[in-house]
Amino acid sequence: MTTTEKPDLSWLDDVTMTELERHPYRTYERLRAEAPLAYVPVLGSYVASTAEVCREVATSPDFEGVITPAGGRTFGHPAIIGVNGDVHADLRSMVEPALQPVEVDRWIDDLVRPIARRYLEQFENDGRAELVAQYCEPVSVRSLGDLLGLQSVDSDKLREWFAKLNRSFTNAAMTEDGEFANPEGFREGDEAKAEIRAIVDPLIDKWIEEPDDSAISHWLHDGMPPGQTRDREYIYPTIYVYLLGAMQEPGHGMASTLVGLFSRPEQLEQVVDDPVLIPRAISEGMRWTSPIWSATARISTKDVTIAGVDVPAGTPVMLSYGSANHDTGVYEAPSTYDLHRPPLPHLAFGAGSHACAGIYFANHVMRIAMEELFEAIPNLERDTGEGVEFWGWGFRGPTSLHVTWEV
Amino acid sequence: MGFAVTVGGRRVECAPDQSLLDACLRAGLWMPNSCNQGTCGTCKLQVVGGEVDHRDSPFDTLTTEERAAGMALACQARPVSDVEVGGSGDRTTHPLRDLTATVLEVADIARDTRRVLLGLAEPLAFSAGQYVEFVVPGSGARRQYSLANTADEDKVLELHVRRVPGGVATDGWLFDGLAVGDEVVATGPLGDFHLLPESDDDGGPMVLIGGGTGLAPLVGIARTALARHPAREVLLYHGVRGTADLYDGDRFAELAEEHPNFRFVPVLSDEPAAEHRSGFPTDAFVEDVPSARGWSGWLCGPPAMVEAGVKAFKRRRMAPRHIHREKFTSTARSSRPPTRWADPDL
Repeated sequence: MTTTEKPDLSWLDDVTMTELERHPYRTYERLRAEAPLAYVPVLGSYVASTAEVCREVATSPDFEGVITPAGGRTFGHPAIIGVNGDVHADLRSMVEPALQPVEVDRWIDDLVRPIARRYLEQFENDGRAELVAQYCEPVSVRSLGDLLGLQSVDSDKLREWFAKLNRSFTNAAMTEDGEFANPEGFREGDEAKAEIRAIVDPLIDKWIEEPDDSAISHWLHDGMPPGQTRDREYIYPTIYVYLLGAMQEPGHGMASTLVGLFSRPEQLEQVVDDPVLIPRAISEGMRWTSPIWSATARISTKDVTIAGVDVPAGTPVMLSYGSANHDTGVYEAPSTYDLHRPPLPHLAFGAGSHACAGIYFANHVMRIAMEELFEAIPNLERDTGEGVEFWGWGFRGPTSLHVTWEV
Repeated sequence: MGFAVTVGGRRVECAPDQSLLDACLRAGLWMPNSCNQGTCGTCKLQVVGGEVDHRDSPFDTLTTEERAAGMALACQARPVSDVEVGGSGDRTTHPLRDLTATVLEVADIARDTRRVLLGLAEPLAFSAGQYVEFVVPGSGARRQYSLANTADEDKVLELHVRRVPGGVATDGWLFDGLAVGDEVVATGPLGDFHLLPESDDDGGPMVLIGGGTGLAPLVGIARTALARHPAREVLLYHGVRGTADLYDGDRFAELAEEHPNFRFVPVLSDEPAAEHRSGFPTDAFVEDVPSARGWSGWLCGPPAMVEAGVKAFKRRRMAPRHIHREKFTSTARSSRPPTRWADPDL
């Protein structure tokens, strides 16, 4: 005699990381339909997949921030995305001043536009380009790199770092015993961190003695008593958060938006003709392929019931924002890019006290980069001889985007 | 009684049945506008406080969601309370006003094409390229015609009018009863199809493409641009069906003599002639100009020509923000006039 019908989720046993990294939408579409909060064995974690449940968990007073196991293994403690209480408040107070809209408005144009122009000048007369590697990623990392004070680190190195940290952070497969299924997968992240330390430590040494207006210098000094700085071990995990997500995702967002627009040539033309539409195009791009697809989590602080599932205290739940943004309960034909869909809120920047601190900055980096791209190359076309492949479960975007134009 | 409209701290009075846009423009307060018939969306704004009646705002231009979010088309909306709308309110414009003019000259200058000169009682402040809206006597219909003048030609307005068989304003008036000495009533100036202020005009190269009497505003714009920078590169294409449609050839030849970098290029689409280019003017531009980077482009003519022009300009990599066009399209549902340059009064 059964009193409640529980969906048969045995199909989840066959889900692999490779499948999730290539085609996460298949699995998550089924999760949204059958079990919006479900335990996914390969991840060793509960997963929230609908807009409603993601938002509920992200903003619930009965949950707090936690870093995913692979994320914690990669970044160490205390990373801003995985801490709570006073430490979280201190880290937010450390990063937020530079990211306030009035502050960002003061310098964003002078920072990003020359960078965008510089990269465009390298290929705008070639008639062809691979925009992810030649434009979206370089503009993203150079803009943030210069803001952080990493002018001396070249863009290719910053791109290499985020890629290595990404693969380490999302090396999420777990064994049945709760061990990392692929411990080797953390090695390249460890190598990247060693290299980062070798380069950034001397800069920190300098900033301790000679503060400047770079973000990391401010992180060391702001709010500290005279003569004291925050300990570098305390801020490194948050530096890694920046060197991965904040470096990578504006590039992902731009590239996804462009792929989306290429799927709707008439909408691309509207946006090229009227740059005022660029922010809306980006917002839809962020919904359509959310760069932070499934990289953040919460943990319950007491026994709660979510989406009909009893969740004991201390249970981590992964927030699949990329899935939530394809929720058919909210969006009509969610897998279609549509500039003109009703501008409903999306979860690409998360929700609750751990919502992205860099929303304003990132949106403007993407906006300025796309303004300059369409200004220089208004006749941009996708190179239909090359495919476009999206990759990633934790972080997602096109791996390349080949374009051509008449010169 | 009317209501007050507040924009960025500036307050203007809006009479009953007066649109927000009309009230602001008459007060010399600029707000974005182009077609003034609800079809282009240029004048869309946010109503921050108070209520408006959307009147004939088409749902294609102002969606249900936008209405719910407090957006309005300034050229259609009438306040039903005091309202505050978004915008800085810090840009002035030539005030919109009612005009009375006397017909000074009516001349047949090409096939089904007339030049009408109107003497104004008071000089009109406007920018070259703007237009004026006329009331057709007897019918109450309103028709919009671009001015071919430069801003200092402010006492005699020059219009180019193409006849539309059976048209209320053309067959019924401008090509029929109109006589020297007649008085006409209009409002103006209107529209955003004009050059940047002289202080912001760097003298960069320009291409202008006019279809039929879409040439009119380009005549004013090109002459203004050349007066500012006599040596600037200006390419003016006139797209017509055949030689019978061409006019003002002498005028452009004279301009070319004074300005070595000005070129006038007629292009005939239907009735080729040995001495002129054949085809479409937008294709002629693509053939003539390998790169339009750093250029500005000006398009006035039938919608299909304007769209082809935008594509041609972008193909030659003109930055889209330097592409200017009359966003004036005919609308079947509107009781207001369709276009002033293509099929002005069906």
